[in-house]
Amino acid sequence: MRFERIGREPDYSRYMDLKEGWLDRRIFSDADIYEEELYRIFARSWLFVAHESQIPNSGDFLTTHMGEDAVIVARQPDGSIRVMLNSCPHRGNKVCFADAGNTRRFVCNYHGWAFDTAGDLKGMHEEYCYDAGDIDFKNHGLKNVAKVGNYKGLVFATFNSDAPSLEAWLGDFRWYLDMILDNEEGGTEFIGGCIKSVISANWKFGVENFIGDAYHAGWTHDSGTRSMNNGQPFPPIDMDNSYHASVNGHGWEFGTEGVGDLFLLGRPKVMDYYNKIRPKMAERLGEMRSKIFGSVASASIFPNVSFLPGISTFRQWQPKGPMQFELKTWVIVNKNMPDDIKEEVTKGVMQTFGPGGTFEMDDGENWENCTTVNRGVVTRHERLHYRCGIGRQIEHDTLPGIVYRGQYNDANQRGFYQRWLDMMTHDEFGKMPARPEPQLGNVGETRDLPGLFAL
Amino acid sequence: MLDRPLAPPPVEVIVAVTQALHREARLLDNEDLDGWLAMLGKDVSYRLELKSRRFRADRSPPFPLGPGVIFNEDLGRLKMRVDRLKSGFVWAEDPPNYIRRAVSNVEVLATRADNEVRVHSVLGMHRNRIDGTTRLLTAGRTDLWRSEGSAWLLAAREIVLDHSVLPDSNLNAFF
Ligand code: FES
Ligand SMILES: [Fe+2]
Repeated sequence: MRFERIGREPDYSRYMDLKEGWLDRRIFSDADIYEEELYRIFARSWLFVAHESQIPNSGDFLTTHMGEDAVIVARQPDGSIRVMLNSCPHRGNKVCFADAGNTRRFVCNYHGWAFDTAGDLKGMHEEYCYDAGDIDFKNHGLKNVAKVGNYKGLVFATFNSDAPSLEAWLGDFRWYLDMILDNEEGGTEFIGGCIKSVISANWKFGVENFIGDAYHAGWTHDSGTRSMNNGQPFPPIDMDNSYHASVNGHGWEFGTEGVGDLFLLGRPKVMDYYNKIRPKMAERLGEMRSKIFGSVASASIFPNVSFLPGISTFRQWQPKGPMQFELKTWVIVNKNMPDDIKEEVTKGVMQTFGPGGTFEMDDGENWENCTTVNRGVVTRHERLHYRCGIGRQIEHDTLPGIVYRGQYNDANQRGFYQRWLDMMTHDEFGKMPARPEPQLGNVGETRDLPGLFAL
Repeated sequence: MLDRPLAPPPVEVIVAVTQALHREARLLDNEDLDGWLAMLGKDVSYRLELKSRRFRADRSPPFPLGPGVIFNEDLGRLKMRVDRLKSGFVWAEDPPNYIRRAVSNVEVLATRADNEVRVHSVLGMHRNRIDGTTRLLTAGRTDLWRSEGSAWLLAAREIVLDHSVLPDSNLNAFF
């Protein structure tokens, strides 16, 4: 056997050919590529930081990360939300070590610099040690991010002052997002807290699994499905009436039967609840979306958020080095659900997609081993196959985005890596191609859609 | 009735319950899951809830449904988990992982019921997975054990894991 010792590729397009359908394994472990991802993707994208329901009151805060940068997300007295670096401008110490809570001040442990919840420096221990002219309080607060946005309860932030509006960033994907965020009057909330776990895998494996990999479910989760389902395996997929849809690297794979994921949740009362509100959902979002919601489906928002509509797990894959991520999971429910249904959903999520859940238990190890094994010095130069369903692209009357027929497909994964490549290669944000050209560009609210898309 | 402190349970009870904890750990380590199920009461409740890190002075109310529940199981659900593990389709457990449990700090306390004791213990769990990675998890447990006939059965277990971030990708082992 002969192999060449190859260094870094001169340009990122050499790491994949998505028209052919392959990826280079090095993007899952290379430290230099990872550093570049932090700059080019995480520091420039809109990143999910909170659901507004987690911090309802003035002074409520939570701590999280944008890429590997620690941030505080805090509700202000005027009701707005601010996002700032969780790092003291004095020596850089972390300012807030709590996961969440309510406070008026963040006081740094090292020298006692004190900040209000907007991040403004308000005072410090032994303030007299600074002479006039030593310090300008106004310029020594916690650094705020460039922009904060809220899409139907999901709060996003970006370090990038050139980023488009959050609406434009989500673009036509809002048509899909509204199925989970707006399927009932009142919107959504996160219920309970956040479960965090460390997984020794590259962050992209989590995202690509949820963006399109329905294919793994029947095999990886065979034991879980059978134990939940009287020994029956995962039902066969209807390849004619299920789809992949990709918009600028965001993606949703779904059936149109309306019940698959609700069934996997294993809580009949929740199924009943959605069946009851489904006619209203159809009035609200159109017939098509009311049939998609609840079907076997999974989705990711570029770059690192995923969820299962119908099963109600909502999660973020936080990068912690090329071969590790922290998985944060929450439960998302409709605000107007009765309390007992909310509790049923929570139980169902814990039993299926919590770290001890019947399905979740099978996933992590696959991603860990994909990551570590791909790193082998010879192995890393072999290509990975991403060609499934490459010829099945269709134009669809009702579904926006780049649409492929058949839920077992690599199409959304290819869409995700295409966007990854676009961001890794374009210095100017505005020059990145739209994939596809927006169809709902002027639509402010996908509930008010005219014509075909409203179907 | 005066609320006097209860007398400690008889030494035979302390020995029997402590032995039951050790036996339980051995059965689980050896994957004798049916043997383990036989040690559970019909109404067993088995819970593991995570904590969230807050400032000591923080007075804001706790989350309505708790910070995060990993297990909230009854006997039926535990049987389902055991069935899953025995199904032959759990790829991540084949070849088997090595798990070793160490039980310590056992404290057996009397309750108002004659046939029930409250038991505090500490569990250390060493997991060596099929890819060779090793993790050490520790947890505190508060149990209720009940004597039925000649056996002591687990009636309730509250597990508190000593990790705010789970150091592993799953928790597919019993504590
Ligand atoms: S580092 Fe924060 S006060 Fe000195
Ligand atoms: Fe999975």
